[in-house]
Amino acid sequence: MIKDESTIKLMIDTVSSYVKDRLIPIEEECAENDSIPHEIIDEIRDLGLFGLSIPEEYGGLGLTLEEEMLVVFELCQASPIFRSVIGTNVGIGALGIVLDGTEEQKLKYLPKLASGELIGSFALTEPEAGSDAASLRSTALRDGDDYIINGTKRFITNAPEAGIFTVFARTDSENKGAGGISAFLVEKGTPGLSLGKNEKKMGQWGGHVCDVNFDDCRVPVSAIIGGKEGQGFKTAMKTLDKSRTHIAAVCVGASDRIIKEALSYAVERKQFSKPISDFQLIQAMLADSKAEAYAARSMVLETARKYDLKKNISTESSCCKLFASETVCKIADRAVQILGGSGYIRDYAVERFYRDVRLFRLYEGTSQIQQLIIARNMIKEIN
Amino acid sequence: MKLLVCIKQVPDLESRFKPDSEGVWYSESDLAWRMNEYDEFAVEQAVQLREKLGETVELTVLSIGPDRVVEAIKKALAMGCDNAVHIQDPVAAAKDPWQIASVIAVYAKDKGYDLIFTGMQSQDRGSAQVGVMVAEQLGYSSCTTLVGFEYDSGVVTAKRELEGGIKGVVKMKTPALVTCQLGLNVPRYPTLPNIMKSKKKEIITLAVSDLLTAEPLAATISFYSPTKKGGGLVLEGEVASLVDQVIGILKEKTSVLR
Amino acid sequence: MKTLLIGEYREGKLLESTYELLGFASQLGAETAFLLVANEFQLPAYDGMLYLADVDICGEYNPDLHKKLVLDAVKRENPDYIVFLHSSYGWDLAPRVAASLKVAQISEIIAIVPGGFEVGSCNAKMRRTVKPNGTKAVLTIQAGAFPSERTGTSPKVQKLTAESTGALEFLGYEAAEKKDVDLGKAEVIVSAGRGIGKKDNVPVIAALAKALGGEVGASRPVVDAGWVEHSHQVGTTGQTVSPKLYVACGISGAIQHLAGMKKSDFIIAINKDKDAPIGEVADVLVVADVLQFVPALTQKLQNV
Repeated sequence: MIKDESTIKLMIDTVSSYVKDRLIPIEEECAENDSIPHEIIDEIRDLGLFGLSIPEEYGGLGLTLEEEMLVVFELCQASPIFRSVIGTNVGIGALGIVLDGTEEQKLKYLPKLASGELIGSFALTEPEAGSDAASLRSTALRDGDDYIINGTKRFITNAPEAGIFTVFARTDSENKGAGGISAFLVEKGTPGLSLGKNEKKMGQWGGHVCDVNFDDCRVPVSAIIGGKEGQGFKTAMKTLDKSRTHIAAVCVGASDRIIKEALSYAVERKQFSKPISDFQLIQAMLADSKAEAYAARSMVLETARKYDLKKNISTESSCCKLFASETVCKIADRAVQILGGSGYIRDYAVERFYRDVRLFRLYEGTSQIQQLIIARNMIKEIN
Repeated sequence: MKLLVCIKQVPDLESRFKPDSEGVWYSESDLAWRMNEYDEFAVEQAVQLREKLGETVELTVLSIGPDRVVEAIKKALAMGCDNAVHIQDPVAAAKDPWQIASVIAVYAKDKGYDLIFTGMQSQDRGSAQVGVMVAEQLGYSSCTTLVGFEYDSGVVTAKRELEGGIKGVVKMKTPALVTCQLGLNVPRYPTLPNIMKSKKKEIITLAVSDLLTAEPLAATISFYSPTKKGGGLVLEGEVASLVDQVIGILKEKTSVLR
Repeated sequence: MKTLLIGEYREGKLLESTYELLGFASQLGAETAFLLVANEFQLPAYDGMLYLADVDICGEYNPDLHKKLVLDAVKRENPDYIVFLHSSYGWDLAPRVAASLKVAQISEIIAIVPGGFEVGSCNAKMRRTVKPNGTKAVLTIQAGAFPSERTGTSPKVQKLTAESTGALEFLGYEAAEKKDVDLGKAEVIVSAGRGIGKKDNVPVIAALAKALGGEVGASRPVVDAGWVEHSHQVGTTGQTVSPKLYVACGISGAIQHLAGMKKSDFIIAINKDKDAPIGEVADVLVVADVLQFVPALTQKLQNV
């Protein structure tokens, strides 16, 4: 749903000029140094990008999901690490509070998350609980007016930068399933909370991920999202339903950029005395990439419109995430093929994107988990 | 204190231009539109002055053209202008600079603007006339091609960019008009929160017919692509062979490799 | 047909570009008269009527007063065209004169064509032919578009004077930023344009300049973006250069840049876009990606 066409157009225009003027020129340097300069983070904050999805009454922009998708397409014309800076505040790191938080929690954290003063992070995955999130082993035991959290969380995006963590832990030791899990808001600096060292990743250099350890970490009862035990897994799933569409939009933006890189190479590069774009086998690769990227874009927007009409998008968002992430990897692979040897060389953005986009098939639910969600929902509907 | 900034919406200059059906201007199909680059410097300077002087200042942005120019107006509002005037004119491109200047002057005449900012020229027409002609018609002092601007209690100190990197320093009293050159400042990106806030700002729409009194003084009789001078050698092909050809040319036609 | 030509005088010198006005008038086949705010010891090489106002009284930049002088000369000569250079002086003064006379102004003329005057538009990518509706018009001509001409040695001088309204006070000149490089003396200049993509690629251009024994130049956008110091800027607001070899890398060729380098002895342009305006002045246009071609050329030159 687009609330105001010209407003969103202006936002896209701002983001697109910013991406072109500032982000694309610096993306290679950020990957090389494995860090994004502070002034860029400040600029992203000043532009208001952290607050895309947070409601206006809590200091955000309150964009509809369709509007958010359009902005994300534009932002992701640059390396996905820049999206990653805002990604947790727009998505999983803030959504738990937006969807299920108490009014007090919303007032305390959302304005700071919207302005980017605070970075949010989502701590669900564990060394032994990845796709099977409901089997997580972290515990939160009640002790008077507090809970004591113990456990290790793995591959936590933006953890080194985060000021507030949404942490999932088992409050009911009797219940080994989803119903025994609660979600907590744990602030940075809480005694017992510590970070592992940054993982060395295949791609998305400049974006950081590490372990988050809880060692008798004491938080007040008021830190439970929504104030009720046992609701955590539901919160996690609702969060992921929406954020999967966001990741799909990230894939669409990256697809467009990769196609642009491949196309401009194809029309310039000459072999057998003509541009390689004159050759039909190259044209076929370009056309398939274009058609698939367009399909992914259309799916994402359709799903977002459905969400904006308050419909359940569990199946659709998984379809988007599955298709868009698989698609962007295929497109990146073709782009490397079109560039030939150059596509394997660091000097070309395509080489970097090829590694960067591989992550999208893994996090916020692997492709296989998306397939399971889709199929289970299908079967549930006919029974 | 009242400030006015006049802006134009122009096509993205990276576009390919084709003559329109009458062959006197470009065809508008398939063009993306932007705020004229020089005008962004004008808006930024006006907004900086407004921010410096505070609440007693009212900054109005004005643009002439069809409905699409409202996009440029909204950008200026998001950058920090207080309110806007859209002079609705579906055929603004057919008017000559004199007529455009007259429309602005007729609008601004009784409004008591202390300072008017414009771009030095538009990127599409590039005549560099409208600003100065507005000032002449209003009887304002004016100064062109600013790369430096200071204001203090009714006096503008301007730095004009001259050829060869030299600057001319000029002082004038308000009411005055300045035309802004690239490099005057760094225009801000309208932030997303400010874009949201600017939705509430007022845009007054006026019909150009109510303001247009001047007849055109010049006419464009044709619009076309430049004819290639020819003569120049165009080399295309594999990089390695291009390099060899260029080295051959350097040896043969210049003395730099000797 | 008669033209009134408005010459330029700055920092105590008659500007050489003034003679391009005579080149324009001669292409037009028009009679001429000159107006110049200068001093009487530095008169142009011209033998027609020269209206001379004393620069010590009228100032080098005082548009309101200069406008009065032009209007006075117009009254005396009744010219068809009042011609300025399209320069910081001309584009500032011309519209004031046009507005006072309520006549058309045609800006930045690059050629005289059947039916009117040719001007650039859309950043020099396109052209327009424009004609004034009345019989009188103010014209500004693009720097370098018409040849310089001298017509004799001793003009017939008629002095003019006017009163200043004092609306605008000229405080003086500010010198150009100190140059760490004198492009004017360089035999080879390799210039970077927006097409190099980012600051990190400036060394690629510098390496070619070094291999050719030359200096690095730059177009305005590259300087404005802070990729290269202003002292390296080539063009109307930077330096005007005429080296033996000028290599334009990723420069599309805005008029302002072309005006600063088109008198170079030999010009090689490297651009992805075959239709870039730089192709109009280049002796050789290499259609290629700058970042592929330039390093390859540099390497080969180092092995020569």
